[in-house]
Amino acid sequence: MTSRADGYSMALESSSLERQQIADAGQGHISLYASAPPGHQPWTSAAGTAAGEWSSYRIDNCTVENGIPSISSYHDDQQTKSTASFQDGANVTSRTSSLSSIGVSNASHDYSAYYSSQNSSDPYAYSYQGHYYGYQQSSNDSSHQQVGAVQNTGAPYQPLSSFQNASSYVGPTSYSSTYYNPGDYQTTAGYQPAAAPGYQIGDYNHQTNSWSDGNYAPHHYSVYTPDANSGQSNSGVTVDPSHYQQQYTQWSGYYTQTASASICPPGTEHVPRTSASAEHPVPDFNGGYPVVNSQPPPPGTTSWRRDSVFSSQGANDVAGYGQSNGWQNGPLVFANNHHASQTHSHFQKSLDSTPIPGVSMEEQANTVYTNQSTAPFLSTNQVPQNFQQTSQAVSILDTVRVSKMQIPTNPRIATNLSVPKMDKEGSMADAASKPAYISVPSSMLNNKVSSHDPAEGIMKQGTFPPSLRAYVERSFARCKDDAQRLSNQNMMKEIITNASADGTLFTRDWDTEPLFPLPATSLDAVHKDSVHRLKRSPSRRTKSRWEPIAEEKMVEKPASVNHRSAEDMGFNHFKVAEKPEVAKYENKVNDWSNMKFLPSQQAVANKSIHRPPKKQRFGDRGATENRDGSSDSEKEQDLTKYYSSAMALANSPEERKRREHRHKRFEKGQERQGEPKNYQPRGFRAGGLYNRRPSLSLLSKYEEGSGQAVEDIDWDSFTVKGTCQEIEKRYLRLTSAPDPATVRPEEVLEKALVMVQSSPKNYLYKCDQLKSIRQDLTVQRIHNELTVKVYETHARLALEAGDMPEYNQCQSQLKSLYSEGIKGCHYEFSAYNMLCVILHSSNNRELLSSMARLSAEAKKDEAVKHALAVRAAVTSGNYVSFFRLYKKAPNLSTCLMDLYVEKMRFEAIKCMSKSYRPIVPITFIALVLGFSRALPTEEDEGKESDGLEDCEEWLRVHGAVITVDNNGESQLDAKATSSSLYMPEPEDAVAHGDSNLAVDDFFTRAP
Amino acid sequence: MGDAHRKVGDYVRRFSDAVLSQEGSSLSPLLAVSSSSSSPPLLSVADALAAAQDWGRLLKQADAQLGEILSHLLRAIHSFRSGRFVEAYNAFERSANSSAFLQEFRNWESAWALDPLYTIAYEIRILAEKADWELSSHGKNPEKLKAAGSFLMKVFGALAGKGPKRVGALYVTCQLFKIYFKLGTVHLCRSVIRSIETARIFDFEEFPLRDKVTYMYYTGRLEVYNENFLAADQKLMYALSHCDVRREANIRMILKYLVPVKLSLGILPKTRLLEKYNLVEYASVVQALKRGDVRLLRHALLDHEDRFLRSGVYLVLEKLELQVYQRLMKKIYILQKQKDPSKAHQVKLEVVVKALRWLEMDMDIDEVECMMAILIYKNLMKGYFAHKSKVVVLSKQDPFPKLNGRPESGRMLSGMLEVRSKRQVV
Repeated sequence: MTSRADGYSMALESSSLERQQIADAGQGHISLYASAPPGHQPWTSAAGTAAGEWSSYRIDNCTVENGIPSISSYHDDQQTKSTASFQDGANVTSRTSSLSSIGVSNASHDYSAYYSSQNSSDPYAYSYQGHYYGYQQSSNDSSHQQVGAVQNTGAPYQPLSSFQNASSYVGPTSYSSTYYNPGDYQTTAGYQPAAAPGYQIGDYNHQTNSWSDGNYAPHHYSVYTPDANSGQSNSGVTVDPSHYQQQYTQWSGYYTQTASASICPPGTEHVPRTSASAEHPVPDFNGGYPVVNSQPPPPGTTSWRRDSVFSSQGANDVAGYGQSNGWQNGPLVFANNHHASQTHSHFQKSLDSTPIPGVSMEEQANTVYTNQSTAPFLSTNQVPQNFQQTSQAVSILDTVRVSKMQIPTNPRIATNLSVPKMDKEGSMADAASKPAYISVPSSMLNNKVSSHDPAEGIMKQGTFPPSLRAYVERSFARCKDDAQRLSNQNMMKEIITNASADGTLFTRDWDTEPLFPLPATSLDAVHKDSVHRLKRSPSRRTKSRWEPIAEEKMVEKPASVNHRSAEDMGFNHFKVAEKPEVAKYENKVNDWSNMKFLPSQQAVANKSIHRPPKKQRFGDRGATENRDGSSDSEKEQDLTKYYSSAMALANSPEERKRREHRHKRFEKGQERQGEPKNYQPRGFRAGGLYNRRPSLSLLSKYEEGSGQAVEDIDWDSFTVKGTCQEIEKRYLRLTSAPDPATVRPEEVLEKALVMVQSSPKNYLYKCDQLKSIRQDLTVQRIHNELTVKVYETHARLALEAGDMPEYNQCQSQLKSLYSEGIKGCHYEFSAYNMLCVILHSSNNRELLSSMARLSAEAKKDEAVKHALAVRAAVTSGNYVSFFRLYKKAPNLSTCLMDLYVEKMRFEAIKCMSKSYRPIVPITFIALVLGFSRALPTEEDEGKESDGLEDCEEWLRVHGAVITVDNNGESQLDAKATSSSLYMPEPEDAVAHGDSNLAVDDFFTRAP
Repeated sequence: MGDAHRKVGDYVRRFSDAVLSQEGSSLSPLLAVSSSSSSPPLLSVADALAAAQDWGRLLKQADAQLGEILSHLLRAIHSFRSGRFVEAYNAFERSANSSAFLQEFRNWESAWALDPLYTIAYEIRILAEKADWELSSHGKNPEKLKAAGSFLMKVFGALAGKGPKRVGALYVTCQLFKIYFKLGTVHLCRSVIRSIETARIFDFEEFPLRDKVTYMYYTGRLEVYNENFLAADQKLMYALSHCDVRREANIRMILKYLVPVKLSLGILPKTRLLEKYNLVEYASVVQALKRGDVRLLRHALLDHEDRFLRSGVYLVLEKLELQVYQRLMKKIYILQKQKDPSKAHQVKLEVVVKALRWLEMDMDIDEVECMMAILIYKNLMKGYFAHKSKVVVLSKQDPFPKLNGRPESGRMLSGMLEVRSKRQVV
């Protein structure tokens, strides 16, 4: 227990220091390993606190990591393989989590079935409401539940852990951690280790937990998980379950298998996305895993499919998988994970369905692994068969994984490229095998692939029809290994030769031409099964169970899942993935380097093992990819090269365009669904976790309820919670949902306010800053004394600068804030308000109502008294008292009165010119009309004099007739003036009538 | 049970009978939900509804169109009886709304249903007020009165047309006024007023007298807000002279605004009038005007500040201060005249200051000088002020012109042209 807890805490800390994380992560992993189950509760709490830090963590990263770990594990042993499979499974799960929204309700049901109903229901509710704010709580709940699960599974779990080699596991985990952002990594790493021991179990638990939570649960988790990497993977798993449940009610069979698979690899990657939630779950899961494993595996697979599919197609594919193999599901998940992690763009590009196919291919391999792993661990699972297969398949799987692995690493940067290819391949294979399902995607894939395939050299461009080329590509896409490819090539040659001999080469419809069956390679046996999809050739083990279910699901899925929602989901994911990629491009690179190093750091023993495996994998993958004809394949062998290319691709204009496009679609989707804008994941910053979570949650919600009424949405749960730590922020009017990463939380806003208040800069700057503070407050729906303070500060500054529009905004906000009972300088501002009404709107009714609102207490306030006196002076036209009040105005009332002085003086002079005869001394006028600066004491001649000139000037400007008497004193000729007065055109008049909006004027007035 | 059913069935029958025979006078009481406690038939129905929960099927007897009106109406009666005003309002509005009664009303050629429609317009307002009270006591946003306002606008639309129904428009308008004044959204009155006063289909004399009085009262109040005293005087005088003398409460309401308006026009009411209609709050104001006692005026304003602010006459009364000053100056002038007629027209400023000090008005010489200037400027005093000698030189001819139904010359901020034209008039 304690050791685990330590490990977690370590991981958390490391996460905070992303870079340093790696080392910590390694440690954390180990520790986690040992004590994965016990750590649950501590974890959750820790996770909750650390969640913020984790935000930086990315799903994509996770995927990458997963891929790598899986590879390493593969090389090491069966056990390691199992871990790899786990990782894959994890990825899958994470994906599912994202998709989970679709099946939330279903998930919950299923969950209850598996676990106690209460648990499921509770988490669910939490997750729903909680997204943002409540997630901590929810996570706690989930953790508790998990704990329960853990206990149950506890026994199995430990055995499992013992079963697997800790070292091997660690190795993979460390890998993943390195890949990921440091912070993320740690968690993931920890997770994986934990997962590895309790691995399958853990995943299962996660899934189940997620189930209980429904889709939301993952989110909650995610928050926590950010802290603990392990948690992330778990969360991912959990998410998957929900999907699974929906799609496949038959958890148990698949569950074990898929779960195991999912746990290790993809899980980590996905986990990040799904959020840290996994972390908690992981420990718990480990405990509870064993139990879960037996049942849940299927769900994992299903979830994968859904996730990967996003679109209905995906669902179909998934179904097929489910039928064929639980294993496949695991791999599928993997692929999906890759896709997701790399970029949703893949999905979009390659069609939603395509990813699935790819997944299936890879997954098959993965499944094999998972089976192996699960078999040992779960023992109870039906996997034994898989096990054997897996051992054989391992090599295949490895290759697959390798490719995937690379993809994952790239995902952020250029994952799209590698992953899409993979997907395409997979899809092609699938298409070939089962056109019905993949039809759309397959065609697209084929087209895309076609360009690559030529490289294979069977056909030469120009001599053959494009459809034939596509056909060839398709056939090659199916090939999993060299042996297959070789046989495929031979077959292809034969077919083409025959066709040309027949003369049907150009007439035959190659697009519809069925692919010849591939000879089963030694390893391929497994592959084939997966490729063919379980349906056709139901996997030997799981078939019986799965097939019926899978079919049902197949039918139901498309209907249940909206294409649109799926797309949106994909987009969202994509966004998440992509943006991070761009923004954190460098980070990724760093991560990469980290990753490489990390392995060594984490476990030396593992290192040695890992590295060789990696190379092998790479080689394998390179081979496979080359066959596929991906332009990148050549570079892939060299990791760094690969990355660079990927990066370049990611940044290429095309890619950017596509992203934009997707982005737009995503936005549309959001609008359509009436979701709060808050969720839009924007450029991810360090605090990106929050963003992601919301987006995920949103997504899930979307999926669930594409048909859900807007009013059913709990808007509170959508309120943004900012993570930005920068004190200074420019104001930019929001045109879309705010990104939590750019929104400052309350503490920071407080600092920002102080900064503005003490800033020596001019009003324009301060106004800008205050507006951004106000925006952040509004976006986060903060209504407290800070809000009042901000508005008061801004109102005062606006008054000083004479910026009445801004002042009025603040005033109206303050009015409602005060009416909510929030304390502030209420009296001061009601005085301002009254002055404003009196002097500027001259609306009697308004004035009456604002006077009627004043309490007896308010009327004792100095400022209010002053304002009332001003009002009286204005209504009676008493200019003398007005200007006296002007001189002793409290606070900033002077500023408001300033704006009325001109009018008042003009009225006064009109009055004087009419009522005085024959003359009025200028000195007197200057005195009573407030031109002299000093208080009007007649003895103080010296001070008045400097007001004299101003007064005279002002009088002249207004058409007054001034004479000079014998003593040389200036006099106002009242009679002459009375007919010559006029109000000069204001010099600062602007066409639109509001001089406050005049830029020049504004600038000059800004202090 | 059977009795309850019978009562409900009886109500339904009476309702449909009234509609079928187009007897507005017998239909109206059936709609008066808010007076159900005082109306025996409705009261018994309300109680019967509580007993017969399955009254819905009784509605099947009525024809389909009336069924919808009745089902909501009965629910409204029931809810009102149980004190659930929000529900009652909602049900009543549904019953009255365009899909039900109002729709029917539109279809009826003749105006026989005007009375029931009046009842509905009245009921919806009363129910909305009660519902708002209930809402705000639960800390919720009171919005029903606003909703009632928009519903009544719909009703207004149904009435504003050629044909016999148009005479009902003014009643609805008055209900709208009541709502708007209560909500403090009097600016919404403008559109209704415009259509009443400019639309050719409306002939103001054609409307029922009671509506005309109400209408004039409210529009007069609006003019008070705008400090348009001549128009306010005219409208309120119309209301007063046409108001049923037995309706003392209504007369009092009219006088509440008419008195300040008259005061600002220089016309003082008799004390008896104020006493008769319990308008004593104006008594000291009148007294101050008579005596030229600025202090008394200020005290009166202070004493009844809340009341004056609420009714919206505070600012009007405050402006009377200048007239009080005028009265004071006139008194000084008269006193001087008695002492020395030849120099009576020259009032030294220090005398005025001294007088004000006796009134405990703490004003220094500059302020008093300013007041003198304003008095002259506003034509409350004829003459000029000599700054050098600090003397007010009054005109030898009618130095204190009476307002005589004319408002004091313009507001402080009126433009030059306005001032000039006024001077010419003077």
